[in-house]
Amino acid sequence: MIKTFFDWLKKPMGLIAVGITFLTLFSVAAFGLYQTQQPPAQPIEFPHKTHIAFGIQCLYCHPGASKGPSAGIPTQEKCWACHNQIQKTQTSALLAPLKDAVISGTPIEWVPVAIVPDFVQFNHRAHIAAGRNCEECHGDMSQVNIAENPQVMNMGWCLTCHVEAAGDDQEKLIKLSDCGTCHY
Amino acid sequence: MSQQFSRRDFLKLAGLGAATTAVLTGCGPASRYVKREPYMEMPEYTATGQSTYYATTCRECAAGCGLVVRTYQGRAIKTEGNANHPLNLGKTCARGQATLHGLYNPDRVQEPSTGDWDAAVQVVADALKNNKPEEVAFLMGMAPDHLFDLISDLANATGMNAPVRFGALGMFEARATLSKAAENLFGQAGLPHFDIGGAQVVLSFGANFLETWLSPVSYTRGFVGLREAQTKQRGTLVQFEARMSATGGKADEWVPLRTGTEALVALSIGKLAAEMMGVAAPRAFAGVSVQDAASKSGIKVETLEHIAKMFISQKALAIPGGAALGQSNGLEVAEAVLALNALVDNLGKSGGVYLSALAPAQSEYHRPASAQEMQDFVQKMADGKFKVLFIHGVNPMFELPKTIDFKGALSGVEQVISFATFPDETAAEADHVFPDHHGLESWGYQRVATGTAQPVLSGAQPVVSPFYNTRSTADVLIAAAQIAGGSFAQALPYADEVEFLQTKVAALMSEANGSFSAMDEVGFMASFQQYGGWWRNVDGRGIPSAAGALNRDINAGDAEFAGEGEFFFVPFVSPTLAEAGANKPWLQELPDPTTTVMWNTWLEMNPETAHELHIENDDVVRVVSEAGAVELPVYVYPAIRPDTVAMPFGQGHTAYGQYAEGRGVNPADLLGQHFNGAGDLAFAGMKVKIEKTGKKQQLSRLESLMGVYGEGMEAEH
Repeated sequence: MIKTFFDWLKKPMGLIAVGITFLTLFSVAAFGLYQTQQPPAQPIEFPHKTHIAFGIQCLYCHPGASKGPSAGIPTQEKCWACHNQIQKTQTSALLAPLKDAVISGTPIEWVPVAIVPDFVQFNHRAHIAAGRNCEECHGDMSQVNIAENPQVMNMGWCLTCHVEAAGDDQEKLIKLSDCGTCHY
Repeated sequence: MSQQFSRRDFLKLAGLGAATTAVLTGCGPASRYVKREPYMEMPEYTATGQSTYYATTCRECAAGCGLVVRTYQGRAIKTEGNANHPLNLGKTCARGQATLHGLYNPDRVQEPSTGDWDAAVQVVADALKNNKPEEVAFLMGMAPDHLFDLISDLANATGMNAPVRFGALGMFEARATLSKAAENLFGQAGLPHFDIGGAQVVLSFGANFLETWLSPVSYTRGFVGLREAQTKQRGTLVQFEARMSATGGKADEWVPLRTGTEALVALSIGKLAAEMMGVAAPRAFAGVSVQDAASKSGIKVETLEHIAKMFISQKALAIPGGAALGQSNGLEVAEAVLALNALVDNLGKSGGVYLSALAPAQSEYHRPASAQEMQDFVQKMADGKFKVLFIHGVNPMFELPKTIDFKGALSGVEQVISFATFPDETAAEADHVFPDHHGLESWGYQRVATGTAQPVLSGAQPVVSPFYNTRSTADVLIAAAQIAGGSFAQALPYADEVEFLQTKVAALMSEANGSFSAMDEVGFMASFQQYGGWWRNVDGRGIPSAAGALNRDINAGDAEFAGEGEFFFVPFVSPTLAEAGANKPWLQELPDPTTTVMWNTWLEMNPETAHELHIENDDVVRVVSEAGAVELPVYVYPAIRPDTVAMPFGQGHTAYGQYAEGRGVNPADLLGQHFNGAGDLAFAGMKVKIEKTGKKQQLSRLESLMGVYGEGMEAEH
């Protein structure tokens, strides 16, 4: 039975079948891979570009970036401080979820997109202190609505920048490329 | 190409494709996306992504260890010991770690049985106001905490019954016996403190100080000091007990004496030691016959001589505890063992026996009730002496021997009000349940009764906001007293629990030698919370008087055993669960240190005995005592005397939530009402019968079912 099957595989029809199977597997894998790189759905279609156009600094909503490991997601209290003074908040369908969340006192379930695995100890503060700008890693947020992640945040990407930053300073290079800098 | 494409290649390629797909998709960020709920209003002391740490006190047992709890975005994440705290110096036991499983337990009582708290406070106020003061009783857990002080103040001012404290741990530790023996020998009641770390040779008569005994974290640290061999010679531990406990497992010598002969053995060692020292045997030891003791206990005279020699050759310490004191002659056991210390003159010396330091602002040791006192209390309940019973922090339906019949006595009480955090057996029988916060959500302080040289008042503060509609019992009582008016309102003139705490704690500001000082009350309270308590930087331990210790008769007598059976019965507190850990899955999943059994109760039986009775591992047997019978699987345990069977206490709940309920059996169902000279329960003074049932129930255990001792191998081949 198996032998008959393998004999059939060697015939043109069989070869085509193998080809189709292989292509199917490949395209499913490719599609899966593509899916993983898409920004996730957010509870509110938050327009970053609108807020930046008003001249609001990144650190106004994400102040943790200059203070500690996590930049943080703003509290509803912070959103509402401005939005309850804006007429459009009362009428806009886009802003209805915010209004509902504040009135009912339920937290908005955001999905952070710029994330690293649990075994990486990333700290924003050190990067801000070293003079890096937010857009160097997070892209130009004045061009996007909901947050996208323009980089594949993997180790190669981190190290490329770390090595560049060290330049010719051997001591700095050792510090910046040490495993324990990020994995501890 | 198709010619070379074999089946193997096809499978390889297909497998590779599947693996690649899995890996590539699994490594993508989408696999890690999680929802984040930001604060609606961020507390000002919180920084995103940074943990906040709070010092508080562990409430899992009455020892009073200091904790530092890591919280993240308003959730408690991890408990660790408070490195500053003199009792535990940064360490915790497994129960301390598992306190989070109490906080997040899905079975917690989430609201008062009246639905809202105004009605609940009114119920409590009516109960206080509408009954005569002597008809109101409070039953509390063992911890000498702020709530005990608050209720004591209320009772003193109004003539109500003084609050009674009780816990199964205190019953199995025989605290009343230790205190009484100290009073008889040293002229002062109180818990003795044993400086294990400073000794070179430790004889422990049943004291399971590495498990649950008195203050296990502190005594474990003492044991580390005993074993420490960098700066001194490694110390030796000799454990006398019929069934090897986890502490016995750590001992250099384990002496399996017959249950009930501990006093004889201790006196014999005293007599032999005195002879070796070249002094006449003191009156305490003179009356004993070494030959007689050897034959009754099943220990060779040579062994006794060898231990006596070791005892006098180096800095030695003898500790009484556990099942050795839970005998009809338990008080004499404690006296005999404490007298050994007087013989080698270690009283009040490094490596010896002290009287525990009293906590700051404490004038005498507040002993929890003994089992006999509880029997009286329950009798009063049954006789209708109490119209109202308030219960907090204890589960007497589970912890008291069934024969004391707490359940039956409840019918003699008109109104039972429970403040239980969890739906335990007692709460199920109560008329009202007004749930207290979990320990990690509560304010408070607790006196450290024993375990450290310094007088310590351990502080507690909420590390998270309460999750449910619960309320602090102190707040409920303060509010109810205000409504009840009169002397009740005068006794508790506080706005809330925090004001009460401040009033009590601020009194320490003027005390000398404090661990910190402050100029004003607010600063003092802030430091009290920050450091996790206040302690005096002095050795506050008492020095026992040796005057009357040896010049007295100690009549060991023969221990009496209740029941018909042929086996001595040794119940012991589960080292992992203790009395209230069964509702915490981490503790259930933690293997017992000696048997590695999890999630169940077992009966320990010697392989010889099992062989004679044709019983194998996991055979279910019926254990019959004079008080009752239970059925449970056997664990064949080589480290137990053939004439003894043992059973852990901690399981066998009929309520207490999904993880505890209907699991294992409760040895308290087998215990009768026999007491020793100090009123503690003679829990190990029983004999039981073993009956086969023909059933089998496989125990889940970590060790191989083949057995670490090769037992069961034959059947396999």
